[in-house]
Amino acid sequence: MLKATLRSFLAHKGRLALSALAVVLSVAFVAGSLIFSDTVTRTFDRLFASTSADVTLEPKQDLRSPRTAGAVQTVPAALTDRVAKVEGVAAAHADVSVENVVVVDSHDKSVGPTTGAPTIATSWYVTHRSPVKLTSGHAPRGAGEALLDADTADKKHVRIGDPLTVQAQPGTFRVRVVGIATFTTTNPGAALVFLDPAVAARELLGSADRATSISVDAAKGVTDAELKRRVGKAIGTGTYDLKTAGEQAKSAAATLGGFLDVIKYVMLGFAGIAVLVGVFLIVNTFSMLIAQRTRELGLLRALGADRRQVRRSVLTEAVLLGVAGSTLGLAAGIGLAFGLIRLMSAFGMNLKATEMVIGWGTPVAAYAVGVGVTFVAAYLPARRAAAVPPMAALVDAEVAGVGKPLKVRAIVGSVVGAAGAAALAGCAAATKTASAASLLGLGVVLTLIATVIAGPLLVRPVIRVLGGAFPALFGSVGRMSQRNALRNPRRTGATAAALMVGLALVGGMSVASASMSASFDQRIDKTLGADFVIQNGSFLPFTKEITDKVRGTEGVRLVVRQRFAPVAVRLPDGERVKTTATGYDPHVDDVAHLTYTAGNSAAALADGGLGMDADFAEDHGVRLGSTLPVEFPGGHRAEMRVGALTDQGTGDGFGMQGGLFFGIGTAEKYVPGGQDAALYVKRAAGTGADLLRSRLERTLKPYPQVQVRDQADYKKLVHDQIAVLLYLVYALLGLAIVIAVLGVVNTLALSVVERTREIGLLRAIGLSRRQLRRMIRLESVVIAVFGAVLGLALGLVWGVCTQQVLALQGMTALAFPWGTIVAVVIGSALVGIVAALLPALRASRMNVLAAIAHE
Amino acid sequence: MSTPAAEHAPGRARDGSIAARARGLTKAYGSGETTVLALDSVDVDIARGRFTAVMGPSGSGKSTLMHCLAGLDSVSAGQVWLGDTEITGLKDRELTRLRRDRIGFMFQSFNLIPTLTAAENITLPMDIAGRRPDETWLDQVIDTLGLRGRLTHRPSQLSGGQQQRVACARALASRPELIFADEPTGNLDSRAGLEVLGFLRRAVDDLGQSVVMVTHDPGAAAHSDLVLFLGDGRIVDRMEQPTADAVLERMKAFDVVRGRLGDDSTAQEG
Repeated sequence: MLKATLRSFLAHKGRLALSALAVVLSVAFVAGSLIFSDTVTRTFDRLFASTSADVTLEPKQDLRSPRTAGAVQTVPAALTDRVAKVEGVAAAHADVSVENVVVVDSHDKSVGPTTGAPTIATSWYVTHRSPVKLTSGHAPRGAGEALLDADTADKKHVRIGDPLTVQAQPGTFRVRVVGIATFTTTNPGAALVFLDPAVAARELLGSADRATSISVDAAKGVTDAELKRRVGKAIGTGTYDLKTAGEQAKSAAATLGGFLDVIKYVMLGFAGIAVLVGVFLIVNTFSMLIAQRTRELGLLRALGADRRQVRRSVLTEAVLLGVAGSTLGLAAGIGLAFGLIRLMSAFGMNLKATEMVIGWGTPVAAYAVGVGVTFVAAYLPARRAAAVPPMAALVDAEVAGVGKPLKVRAIVGSVVGAAGAAALAGCAAATKTASAASLLGLGVVLTLIATVIAGPLLVRPVIRVLGGAFPALFGSVGRMSQRNALRNPRRTGATAAALMVGLALVGGMSVASASMSASFDQRIDKTLGADFVIQNGSFLPFTKEITDKVRGTEGVRLVVRQRFAPVAVRLPDGERVKTTATGYDPHVDDVAHLTYTAGNSAAALADGGLGMDADFAEDHGVRLGSTLPVEFPGGHRAEMRVGALTDQGTGDGFGMQGGLFFGIGTAEKYVPGGQDAALYVKRAAGTGADLLRSRLERTLKPYPQVQVRDQADYKKLVHDQIAVLLYLVYALLGLAIVIAVLGVVNTLALSVVERTREIGLLRAIGLSRRQLRRMIRLESVVIAVFGAVLGLALGLVWGVCTQQVLALQGMTALAFPWGTIVAVVIGSALVGIVAALLPALRASRMNVLAAIAHE
Repeated sequence: MSTPAAEHAPGRARDGSIAARARGLTKAYGSGETTVLALDSVDVDIARGRFTAVMGPSGSGKSTLMHCLAGLDSVSAGQVWLGDTEITGLKDRELTRLRRDRIGFMFQSFNLIPTLTAAENITLPMDIAGRRPDETWLDQVIDTLGLRGRLTHRPSQLSGGQQQRVACARALASRPELIFADEPTGNLDSRAGLEVLGFLRRAVDDLGQSVVMVTHDPGAAAHSDLVLFLGDGRIVDRMEQPTADAVLERMKAFDVVRGRLGDDSTAQEG
């Protein structure tokens, strides 16, 4: 029996190859993402393990959110001496390292990374843990001298002797590059500027007596944990965080690795799509192989093989396929990880491909996914194979599954579909985001299953309509291709399902993102009253010089500053909410049209006042006039009185839960050293918008980190950010289509083989090769478009429901990306044409006589 | 014998003109030592407006002869004409067009496209060509074959005899110069077989059609005007106005000759 299985496996290797490709793709993405993230983790663990001090002392991090607030928390440098005196401490050193700087070259171009990685300005202090070493020039001595890392110098064409402008929070200062430092470890992609330690503290922190952290070295025989305990005992743990080298490495790697997680999840998303679509392909392939071999299986049964043996034989084939696919997939995954590592280095992160980490988990996951998916997908066809009666060997069997009624499918499909529709309806009607989102997820899964099950039932009605014009357009060739597509609804349905899944996701996500764009547009139109917004594309704060320069620009009537501050607020219902609050200048109503449900901006922005989203307030029992305890970074506390409730409709987005806002004076008082994140500018009467814009742009030329945007630019910025999501969706679509094409090729190839005699007859009575190819192509197109229509219909429903959930977050506009939808339908027709290429060629090359004589 | 319908038919008259012709037609399979000659320099004329049967034991090359005359198979040597057109040397595209426009086919089984109705099957060659069928002629063919009530049926809803009648109607519908029928009764019971043979006979007599039928059934051959006997790739005999008994006798002799020839060759080799 095993021999027969092996023979059959090898005999059908052509057809299995297509399924194997689907397995290879999914395994490759799983393995690739695991290898990549393992490599990154190992590299960063090593980097930070080697560069972290035995114990590091830092400010408490409870409410730290330095990148949006722009403020740096510090420790007194004098603490270093106290720490140094603790028993077991060999040495202690005050470090200065900040990320809230922008470094600009002599052409007003930023030397910082364009990838979103930070620019770090730090003190030059050489230890055995330094990640860099001086490779040319000399160390910075006193004010006006700096080192730059070699990668940045290379990329931005900065040489020794070149001037740089450092825009730091306390103020801007100029330096000259006096040396180049080269990474001895992996460069995590940041730009590094090194300054003389005393200069660093003064220029970057505004005071020579401050530091951002203190590195502590242990004396011989003292463990890191022991050292941490002793230092903690000596200085107290209430005000400062202490971390051992291990802890520090982990938290640093986690901070830096955050954006790498995104890559990991994207890759796993691809793997998921590949698995999902691949399952259909594998089920279909095995079903067809079994249909083709009905007589052979019947013969085996007639000769005495029992059902279990037949089933096992099919499943053995599946496992063989899974093992082969997983092995190739693992290899492809290594290639994929290699490519990603190279890609990362193009972005400035020098991971070494030679240090690729392939943990034991990677092959285990690869084979589990590959073999598991194949086995599960082949199980149903295997059962069907086992059900072939011995009589099948004798009867001139028609292709299995053609004539069987679809009643069970109809019942199961309707029941699951009804449940899914109910869940979606519930989601649309829900008023709480959390419950709506889970109903949406449930509804999406159930309706997808229902459509897959009921797909074959929809084949007849839908394809009748889709191919309705074929006979008129293409004559009898069109008529035959339409009817061929209708011939085996199960097969057509299953083939189209692969395409349907991918397109349903795309349809849903494109509706959601179009609705998001439209909602943001609406909100920008409604709320933005400023002529210009000056800010950073990634909402990072900027130096106050920019604010001063903008204020001083001729023709500016009003500038309202916006500043973020991390806070924690204790609410009357007992909950403590950590969020980011916004500080505004007075006259905020001139630049933003907020809707006040109670109170007014004057009360909210006054000293000790607070504004809040009305829904959030209601949920937590806050009323106008309530007094709430608010915590700020560094242990500052204040009692603040709610002076305004607004209808912001923003809900919980962007870590801004509650929509808290107060006067900018409050932010300055409790978060000293904060920086502005946006400036809203109103022009003076008599100054044209274009004129003011060109003046502002001239003023801001030395500050490449900010841009001047009017309403239209602001919308475009938001659209571009949403577009990133769409690109991801399109990439997923691409992968889904590749696999779906394989499925269509598979189905058509089998149909061509099955219809050999028919094709021979057609050729004998005068059908030309071209007409034959057209016939197969049209069948392929109608199957592909069927899948697309089903998928898009499902996706549009999902999209509308997703928008209903988003509406709870204030995104009330519903928009359909009709352009995308039309493009997808046309694209699917093209997919059909591509998929038909090989099967059509094969059919047209058939020898007429051999085809007629074919059994 | 002449009917008004016969005037529609092209070249129906038995004026001695030729529907198809082969000279030195040779078909070899394989090469070198293992070469098998399926047709060995065959010269044949198929008369227009007549019903010609091709007989012979299996392996005699009768199907190959038909395939070569119909432009379905290539020839190794020799020339073949359909009417005045030499078809040897034509490209696939020209051969396809020739089959479509000038030849009708009936096969032993699997004659119809399962997805098309009887009516659609009948007009298929003309639909493929993009020509409109001649409605009056079509009606006459359909009525002659008694298919009026079956036009909307799919092949799977028709009996074997009905299916062959539809195939016959398709072959006649485009009024081809020549109809090739390859064992058209091979899969039918005797009654349905007789019916189909009767239709082919009427097509020749009433409609003036030219028909070549390959068969191994003497009873079927008896319906023809002329029987050509093929043996080992050559035309070894011909019989005008055959009867079933005469054909059967001839075939028996054929077996004897063949048997003796076989003995001779064995003896020679031995």
